[in-house]
Amino acid sequence: MASKESKGPQSQQIDLNTLSVDNLSAVKKQLDEELEHLTQSFQKLRQAQNKFKECINTVKTGLRPGKTILVPLTNSLYVPGTLADTENVLVDIGTGYYVEKSAADAEKFYNGKVENLTKNLTDLEKIVSQKSQNVRVVEDVLRQKVMSSSAQPQEA
Amino acid sequence: MANPQQALQRMTEEFTTLQKELSSVVEARQTLESQLQENRSVQKEFSGLDDDANIFKLIGPVLVKQDKSEAIMAVGGRLEFIEAEITRTEEKIKNIQEKQEKKKIEIMQLQNMVVQQQQQQAQVAA
Repeated sequence: MASKESKGPQSQQIDLNTLSVDNLSAVKKQLDEELEHLTQSFQKLRQAQNKFKECINTVKTGLRPGKTILVPLTNSLYVPGTLADTENVLVDIGTGYYVEKSAADAEKFYNGKVENLTKNLTDLEKIVSQKSQNVRVVEDVLRQKVMSSSAQPQEA
Repeated sequence: MANPQQALQRMTEEFTTLQKELSSVVEARQTLESQLQENRSVQKEFSGLDDDANIFKLIGPVLVKQDKSEAIMAVGGRLEFIEAEITRTEEKIKNIQEKQEKKKIEIMQLQNMVVQQQQQQAQVAA
C-alpha cells in the first residue's frame, strides 16, 4: 500500500508512509495553517469584489440630475445639497489617487476590477481545494499510523 | 562547555528569537508585496488615461489636483523604492534562514552530546 502523494507543485514527491507520526502531525499543522491563510484571503477578495459591485450599482443609479443629497461636513454635521455634475465621478484608483472619469468609464473601471477579482478567486479556489485534498490524505495516513501503532504498542 | 543543559536552553532561546525575527520580516515582505501590487495597478490606470485627465491626490482629508506627469513620476518613484525594499527584505530573510539552519544543527549536536553523556552516566552508575 504505497500511496504516493504530491505535496503541492513546488515540493518533490514524498512517500507519506515513510514519515513518522510526529512528522505527519507537523506536516498536517503546516497544511492547516496554509489552508487557513488561503481561506482568509479568499474571503477578503470576496469582500473587495462586493465593494466594487456596490460602486457599479451606485454609479448606475445614484447619478440623477437634481438629486438632493446630504453632504457630510463632519461625522455628525450634514448640509443639504444637489449634485452639480452627474456626468463625472471621482474614482479612487488606489494609493490615495483619484481620477475624474465619466460615469461610463467609471463603470468600465469597476467592471475590470470585478473581473480581475473573479479570475483571482477561481485560481484561489483551485488552490484551496488542492490543499484540502492534501490535508485529507495526510489525515488518512496519520490515522492509519496512529491506529496501527496503538494496535502494536512500542513497535518501530 | 561546563553545563550543556544550560547551553542548550540558551541556544533554544536564540533559536526562538530568530524565528520571531523571521516571521516579522516575512510579514514586512508581504506588506511590501501588496503595496507593490497596488502601485502597479495605479500605474497601469495612469497609462490608460488621457493627458488632460483630472487627477487628484488625497492629502489628509483634502483632494489636491495634480499633474498627470507629476503623479506618474511619484508612482514610478514609489515603485522603485518598494522594489529596492523588497530585494533588501529578501536578503534579510535569506540571512535569518541561514542563521536559523546553523542554530538548528548546533542544537542537534548539543542534544546528541547530552544524550550520550546521560547514557555514559547511566552505564557508570550501573
